[in-house]
Amino acid sequence: METCRYACLSGEHSLSRRGFLGGMAAGVASLAGLATPALGKQLEKDQKHVLMIYLSGGVSQLETWDPKPGTPTGGPFRAISTSVPGIQICELLPHTARQMHHLALVRGLNTAENEHGRGSYIMHTGRRQEPAMKYPHLGSVMSKVLGAEHTGLPGYVHISPGGGGGFNKQDAAFLGPRYASVTLGNGKPPENLLRPQGMTDQAEHDRNDLQDRVNQRFARSRRTAETEAYTHSFEQAKQMMARKHLFEVEREPTRIQERYGKHDFGRHCLLARRLIESGATFVKVSHSNYDTHYENFEYHIEQLGEFDQTFATLLDDLHQRGLLKHTLVTVVSEFGRTPTINRNYGRDHWSKAWSIALAGAGIKGGTAVGKTNATGTAVTDREVNGGHVFHTYFRALGLSSTRNFYIDERPIPMADPKAAPITEVLA
Amino acid sequence: MTAPARTTAPALDPLDVAKTKSVKDLKYSSPLIGGRLDPSGKYVFVSAQDNTLQRWDLATGKNVPYSGHSSWVRTLAFEPRSKTLFSGSYAGEIFAWPVEADRPQPRIKLDAHRGWVRAVAVSPDGKTLASCGNDHRVCLWSLPDLKPVREFTGHLCHVYNLTFTPDGTHLVSADLKGIVKDWEVSTGKLVRDLDASILYKYDKGFMADIGGVRSMAFSADASLLACGGITDVTNAFAGVGKPLIVLFDWKTGKQKLLLRPKNAFQGTIWGVAFHPSGWILGAGGGAGGMLWFWKPGEAQSSVELKLPTNARDLDLAPEGKRLAIPFADGMTRIYEIPTK
Amino acid sequence: MFVSTRTLSRRWSLLALALLGSFPLLASGQNTLSQRIDQMIAASIPELAKKAAPPASDAEFLRRVTLDLTGTIPTTSETRAFLTDRSPGKRQRLIERLLASPEFARHQATLLDVMLMERRPDKHVPRAAWQEYLYQALAQNRPWDALARELLSTDGSDPKNRVAAKFFLEREAEPNLVTRDIARLFLGMNLQCAQCHDHPIVPDYKQDQYYGIYAFLTRVSLFSDPKSKTTMLAEKAEGEATFQSVFDKTKTTRTTGPRVPGRPLLKEPKLTKDAEYKVKPAKNVRPVPAFSRLALLGSEIARPDNVPFQRNFANRLWAQMMGRGLVHPLDMDHTDNPPAHPALLTMLAQEAVTQKFDIRHFLHDLALTQTYQRSSELPSGMQEPAPFLVAQLKPLLPEELAASLYQATGMTDIERTALGKKVAEATLHARVSAATAPLVNVFRSEAGTPEDFQPTLDQALQLTNGNLLRSWLNPRTGNLIDRLTKLKDAGALADEMYLSILTRYPTADERQDLANYLQKPGKDRVAACQDYAWALLTSAEFRFNH
Repeated sequence: METCRYACLSGEHSLSRRGFLGGMAAGVASLAGLATPALGKQLEKDQKHVLMIYLSGGVSQLETWDPKPGTPTGGPFRAISTSVPGIQICELLPHTARQMHHLALVRGLNTAENEHGRGSYIMHTGRRQEPAMKYPHLGSVMSKVLGAEHTGLPGYVHISPGGGGGFNKQDAAFLGPRYASVTLGNGKPPENLLRPQGMTDQAEHDRNDLQDRVNQRFARSRRTAETEAYTHSFEQAKQMMARKHLFEVEREPTRIQERYGKHDFGRHCLLARRLIESGATFVKVSHSNYDTHYENFEYHIEQLGEFDQTFATLLDDLHQRGLLKHTLVTVVSEFGRTPTINRNYGRDHWSKAWSIALAGAGIKGGTAVGKTNATGTAVTDREVNGGHVFHTYFRALGLSSTRNFYIDERPIPMADPKAAPITEVLA
Repeated sequence: MTAPARTTAPALDPLDVAKTKSVKDLKYSSPLIGGRLDPSGKYVFVSAQDNTLQRWDLATGKNVPYSGHSSWVRTLAFEPRSKTLFSGSYAGEIFAWPVEADRPQPRIKLDAHRGWVRAVAVSPDGKTLASCGNDHRVCLWSLPDLKPVREFTGHLCHVYNLTFTPDGTHLVSADLKGIVKDWEVSTGKLVRDLDASILYKYDKGFMADIGGVRSMAFSADASLLACGGITDVTNAFAGVGKPLIVLFDWKTGKQKLLLRPKNAFQGTIWGVAFHPSGWILGAGGGAGGMLWFWKPGEAQSSVELKLPTNARDLDLAPEGKRLAIPFADGMTRIYEIPTK
Repeated sequence: MFVSTRTLSRRWSLLALALLGSFPLLASGQNTLSQRIDQMIAASIPELAKKAAPPASDAEFLRRVTLDLTGTIPTTSETRAFLTDRSPGKRQRLIERLLASPEFARHQATLLDVMLMERRPDKHVPRAAWQEYLYQALAQNRPWDALARELLSTDGSDPKNRVAAKFFLEREAEPNLVTRDIARLFLGMNLQCAQCHDHPIVPDYKQDQYYGIYAFLTRVSLFSDPKSKTTMLAEKAEGEATFQSVFDKTKTTRTTGPRVPGRPLLKEPKLTKDAEYKVKPAKNVRPVPAFSRLALLGSEIARPDNVPFQRNFANRLWAQMMGRGLVHPLDMDHTDNPPAHPALLTMLAQEAVTQKFDIRHFLHDLALTQTYQRSSELPSGMQEPAPFLVAQLKPLLPEELAASLYQATGMTDIERTALGKKVAEATLHARVSAATAPLVNVFRSEAGTPEDFQPTLDQALQLTNGNLLRSWLNPRTGNLIDRLTKLKDAGALADEMYLSILTRYPTADERQDLANYLQKPGKDRVAACQDYAWALLTSAEFRFNH
């Protein structure tokens, strides 16, 4: 039905079924939908993961995936050959070049949005911003559709380069706070994960046991979906606490730590691998910062110098461990950078023609789709936008990209109905 | 204000730096990066963002391209006796070129560094060439054959600049973090470190390094070493910071003065030069371009000349009358400093 | 006895007396509203008496009504007193006492704040002034229609009542946002989908309804006064609400004048061009039109005879007490989504007019119903809580949870003691809300979204390992753990713990369980009490109003 396909793109209905004055609610799963351990085990085998590497500030496509050496916009770097004949990338990515057979490059991105916040929104939600509507982040969506609740880990983990951690309800939009992102500031575990100092294993066990008994008594005559959701949140907390060692990257052999790089980004990517290996659904690692209005080339040497070896190691490590085929990897930014080099050797914001890289689950490695003109100022072949990228994510993960979320019976397409998957990069 | 008497005053007076003016504009299609006047005074050589060098005949305005580098060139140096030009590129190459040729081809192509060559310098005796780059290395090569002589090991980050002391016995190199190293040329021994770290910052918000010794020069009597760059950076991604020249007393190795523009300016000192009279010149680029003049012994510039756009380098002819500045708009502008 | 009543100011005592006198409205022989509600429900469900849950126990009722009307659990001494009281009519007296208390006004003000502002940051109107404004409105028992009229027609230009413009100002006077929220919150109609076209699924919701409200707002914008540096609304004399349906292939542009759903088009005077303004628009000048649409918005929406406005009032207060609206979701009142009991909602809507939109009076009558006072324990054979037959579980609002945790741990008692005999509700409230704010922040909804119940990992981790609750469980003179550890007798300790936290006596099993726990080898009494109190405080029984 056309009205459904089009949909009124509003999530507000989800928010309406709450109390007048705030008291009541219905936003939790029905009893039948709650996790059971048996179901969790079964899903674990086919569990899909998503790893997003977010190059904050807008990485230059010319210094990464779509080099234009020897042209007025090319800058000083050369293009180098990769493990895939015919595909060249920037010389700043020598390690990544050797992993090209895992990668699919999308070189025809035109997201038409040159502002950081709005560009970031597009690359996190697959939509352009609308005044009265907020869409959930890919991480929140994956957390919901890939069944993150069975993993015992937060569904959407964001490892940020620095700053504080915390839970970000806004990222989940209408999906609700249980799909919120958890930021691990500089890779530190979530707040309150560690039990209070001085509390013994025994004491922790004792009081959890008590809480269980109290809840069981109450549930005898007053069990509802909401009471279950509440007690389940403590169950999640317990599971998470039991896995606190996951955050201890230093447990990895020195050799592995060195391969990943003994800098923050290296540690963060290693943490990401540990989380994914332990079943985490969606992990985003941000690398900062690529907003190089000044000295674009110096900064790209420095930032990509960290990125290249770490990212190549991460891909290889995921592959060696058999995780890559279950893990969709995407390397994105809020936009690319201007082909024109400004008078401070900088490049500014450019969303009309830029690139991203994909790898892993459902992705045909060793491909490059989309072309830009000789100076990289415009897309000349296979132009796509954020919506296409989201359709591609869903399809790569074996999901239909035309599915809807239903909120109060109102369909909200999971991906922009005006776009379609980039089938050329799909395995 | 009564100025104290200065020993250098007589030498300064005849110069009318405030009337410095552009006498020749040489237009090229690509933005420029670096530039040097050749020792004979006949040419100016500039490097451009299209990987070429351009030779301009100052008298006729005739242009000869030097093509062959596979990346940008920031650094040029001459060996006058053999009339050779050396250029170092961001592809790690050092090329030796004939200064005078109608269709110049590199005499030697040396794969010298991994990553960018940031600076090359010819020793005063013309027997060696020194180079430095992003591979943290400082190398000495024999001339004219460019065979390795020795390496000076000690920098832990990109080496941005180098120069020989005027007597040629020492080599001075300076890096991203503002560490200036004084090497004994004959032995390769590190003599001491000088501190120009005020020209460097790690921007914690942006998570990147910014700064480095972008320009460097000795006074003719070797008493002073000038290191130019950017300081007080408040915003790395947009390059918001102030130009600064750190002036060292070479004998003691201590900072003698910090030379700043009198009027606020946002940008970097891309070129620095000592005038024979004692004036110190700095050319900067950032929010536009500027040429500053400092009187000896004064921290604040006393004369400044607004430039049409960002200056990328500065070279002063030995006689001190003429200077060349390559610009971000592709222009090479020749300036003259009149005398009173 | 009740701290709240003991500490009433003189003014409060007078108001309380006046209110107490006002509730028995009807002459003898006529049924009260509470009775009529129960009768209508009984009439709609055959064999209701057999199916319905029995009346709630005194303890269940005390906790429920205290939370619903004052936003926190009762104190231990209040609980003991109420459970000991054997006199008839004690429930009605309790309801009336709570409704007369300043705590009621405070709590209802919080509920209104959360509903109206949806946790938006306080950018234009300071929080304290707004909360005081709502508090005074409730304390003075201002009728909802009068309050709504003020909220929806105040432009903020007069410093005396600028606070009332908060609803507009914090939404930056964005006409779409304000249109959506007026329809949702004041009329129970979510017209959001009708912004771009007639609602695809709800035939009742039309695009011209949306733009009828929008027409009141399209001339309005935020104005920053250069002198006072405050923001206020400015209104122009021109600008029409025009719209196209995205489904309309002919792309016909339509227009509508100001009109509230269910009401006729607003009559506007015809003015000549030069008579349009009292103050003409100019740079840094706030224009004032000769005829203000905005000034009439409140009186059009909040008319006593506006049926959607009546129904919304009745439905939302019903939901507040009963845990679910008769119309559910609350803002989807339309033909295809009939109320659980259509006749009841119709009756309640009419009654709202009779009662002159008196929030206190309405809640009083709901609280007195058998429907409200049923137990929340499912009767045998019932699988899921059936409407009207069993009391619904209501998750505590973040503020309710935080204040209740503070009360249960005895921390509020410490504050009371510190404030001495003359403890004023406002002072105590300020202290409690300051102490519990970090907890509220973890549980509250995201800015701009309605409060919702979705238990999350961070909340559980906060209660499990966070410093706040942990510090409240450290023994301090007068707090719960301190009181407990001074009790030698395990039975007395169990009573004190259960009465303080769960507002009831423990069962025999629970008493035994606690006694066993206290005997656990290697566990000191403080630690044992802390463990046990933590388990009760974080239990589902505590988390919900039941």
